[in-house]
Amino acid sequence: MEFLVGSVWAAGFAIGIAAFGCGIGQGLGLNGAMSGISRNPEAAGKIQVNMLIGLALIESLCIYALVVAMILLFVHPAIGPAVAALAGH
Amino acid sequence: MEELEKIVNFITRTNWLLFLGSSLVALLLASPKVYLGVFLGGLIVTINFHVLKNTVTQNINQERVMEKGKSLIGALLVKYYLRFALTAVIIFLLIANRSVHPAGLLAGLSVVVASTFIAAAIELTKIIFREAV
Repeated sequence: MEFLVGSVWAAGFAIGIAAFGCGIGQGLGLNGAMSGISRNPEAAGKIQVNMLIGLALIESLCIYALVVAMILLFVHPAIGPAVAALAGH
Repeated sequence: MEELEKIVNFITRTNWLLFLGSSLVALLLASPKVYLGVFLGGLIVTINFHVLKNTVTQNINQERVMEKGKSLIGALLVKYYLRFALTAVIIFLLIANRSVHPAGLLAGLSVVVASTFIAAAIELTKIIFREAV
């Protein structure tokens, strides 16, 4: 049972920390891109390409964390017996 | 500029190739659930990358940036988070219903990261060999 509670906590922390980090990363990236474009609009194309790759990589990290959190919540090996034990009581 | 566009085009092409290759390998060597995970994971991130590319290229360009009275961040971020929320819902449904194997799904979701790393490795090799010559 403690193991299940631990998994739920871990899933919550996993997606929370990942979203926090990715949010800061994307915010900084977008901030830099917007500053660069407003100072030098001709460089918008170059900035756009670099930003696209950066955003895709940052987003992938958040998706990984989401999948790990989902695995901890729904596909965990201990989840079946724990739910059965809860239903029994 | 052309060089940068080439890299993005290379990543886009490699995404599809890796997606097809990994799906084929999973189809031949793995169980149906793993194959479905690799296939759907790869499809999700590849389509995601295309939509992200369209959102960024349509909104972050010289004309749009210089346009007055338009909220650039609003248009970009609303589309961005709608797409992200849709992806999260699809992944949630796939895992919660146990339709796919999680390891296969993780492998499929790594397609864009893998193709970006391949592009980076190729560019790095070019730089090293250019310096060596």
